[in-house]
Order: sequence, then C-alpha cells, then structure tokens
Amino acid sequence: MQSHDKYRIALLSAYALALHGFEGILPTPIPWLRLGLANIITLTTLLLYGLRAAIMVTLIRVILGSLFTGTFLGPAFILSFGGGVTSTLAMGLVLSLMPKLFGPVGLSLIGALFHNIAQLLLAYVIFIQRIEAILLISPVIILIGTMTGSVNGAVSDLLIKNLKKTDEKDKNTQ
Amino acid sequence: MSSGLKGILTSTTKADRLLLFILILLSSSGTLFVKEVLPKGRTVQIEVDGQPAYVLPIERERTVLVKGPYGNTVIEIKNHKVRIIESPCPNKLCIQQGWIESGAIVCLPNRVVVIIGDSQRGTESLFDAVDAVT
Repeated sequence: MQSHDKYRIALLSAYALALHGFEGILPTPIPWLRLGLANIITLTTLLLYGLRAAIMVTLIRVILGSLFTGTFLGPAFILSFGGGVTSTLAMGLVLSLMPKLFGPVGLSLIGALFHNIAQLLLAYVIFIQRIEAILLISPVIILIGTMTGSVNGAVSDLLIKNLKKTDEKDKNTQ
Repeated sequence: MSSGLKGILTSTTKADRLLLFILILLSSSGTLFVKEVLPKGRTVQIEVDGQPAYVLPIERERTVLVKGPYGNTVIEIKNHKVRIIESPCPNKLCIQQGWIESGAIVCLPNRVVVIIGDSQRGTESLFDAVDAVT
C-alpha cells in the first residue's frame, strides 16, 4: 500500500463517517429506514483498493460512528457492525470469485442484501425471538434495500469514473 | 448529467440488471404474500370485571380458570378455538355459544369477557427495536 493510497483510505473513511452521520439526522418517512449512503464509500474503496482497505474503512466507520453517537458495544453497534462487515465481505467475495460478472450496481445490490440479511438475523437473535415478525418485515426491508442499493451503486460507479479521470489528469500534469 | 446517466446504463452488466430484476420481483411478491403465508398471530384476551386477566396465544392448548363475582369460569383453548366449559352463571349462555374462532364470548353475570384479537405486539416491538438502532 502506497502512502498515496493510505491518505486516500483515511479520506474515504472520513467521507464514510460523514455520510453515516448525515444519514442519521436525515428525516425519513419510516424511522428505521436508512439509505446506506456509507456503502457508496465502502464499494468505491473495494473497487479501487481491494477488500482489505474496504474492511478497514467499514471498521473505522462503524467503530468511530458508534463512539460519536454513544452506542459503542451496545445492541445498535452489534447490528451496525454485523451488517457492515457482512456486506463488505459479501461484496469482496463476489468480486474476487467473479470479477467481471457484476458492475458497481450489482455489487451494491449484493452488499445491501447481505447487510439486510445479517441485520435481520441479528435482530432475531438479540431483540425478538419471533420468527414470524422477522419474516413479516424481511421482504419490505429487502425491497427498500434493493432500491437504495441500486442508487448507491450508480453513485459509486460515477465516483470511481471521476476519481480515475482525476488520477489520469494528475499523471499528465506531473 | 445526461452523459453521466448514459454512463450508468452502459456500465451495468447483464448480471447487474438480472440481479436487480430478481431482487425486486422476490421482495415485492414477498411483501404482498407474506401475510397470507404466515399463521395469524392471534391472542386470547380474558378480562374479568373489566380488568385484563390473561393474554394467551391461541396456538397453545390450555385451560384457564378465572374467578368472577359468581364463582369460577373455566375457559378452554384448543385447535385455535376458544370456549367456556364451566360457568356459575344462571343461564349458561356463554357455554351454549360453544367454540369460537374469532370475536368474543361475554358472560355478563360473572363479568367474564373472552376476546380473540390480533396480536400486533411482536411487530410493534420489532419496529421499536429497529427504531432504537437508527
């Protein structure tokens, strides 16, 4: 990892953290709905710098984010941690197994899906041992996750293209 | 921005679009049909003298005895149905009503009310739990 990359990972973590916090204060029609904006950054990191960097950005976001909101090691932290790590791992695994099959949108959808599944399972284990309640709410959550996931993937795609463009410009001017 | 949107469309692979289609199809049909598939989470609520005495799941077989002003009323829950099998009231209308699957049995003399209601509690606590997380 070059120092240039390290600097970028630190910046990306800060962006992820900012988006994570911004999304927390954003009013949504349903209280538990989250847009998963931080996943834009996770996915971008994964595609540009690989799985290790993406995991790092996710861990930094989850841990610092929970420290800022005072939920560190609480149930909310466990949900956030489980969802974040699972989705990053799922995206990384799919990318390394089938590198050409999915673009950013597809990867983002996979990330959103696994984020939701992990959180639903954790919610079942931690909060409510009522499988019918989980089953009742799962399709709604996955549907919303699919919609936000596809938008996030598209944004990530744009971001990567623009970052690559500026990289090329930098190289040309140097 | 138009070139950006075009860029998104051309940069999605066939697998991307297929995955999006499948996910939307599965989750929206799931949203529509999950209520039909699930067993209805109903409860039997028993009130004595206006005070709630028991809230029981209708799935579990059970016989409950409650004490009213006249004496003991015995309520039986079985096969997702409820009936009153013993009552000290003079006209025994509540016993004659037999098994019910929905609605209520009211024994006015002994002031016992048995209601079959939807239990929304599970879903509500789920919403609360997720709410506390955000």
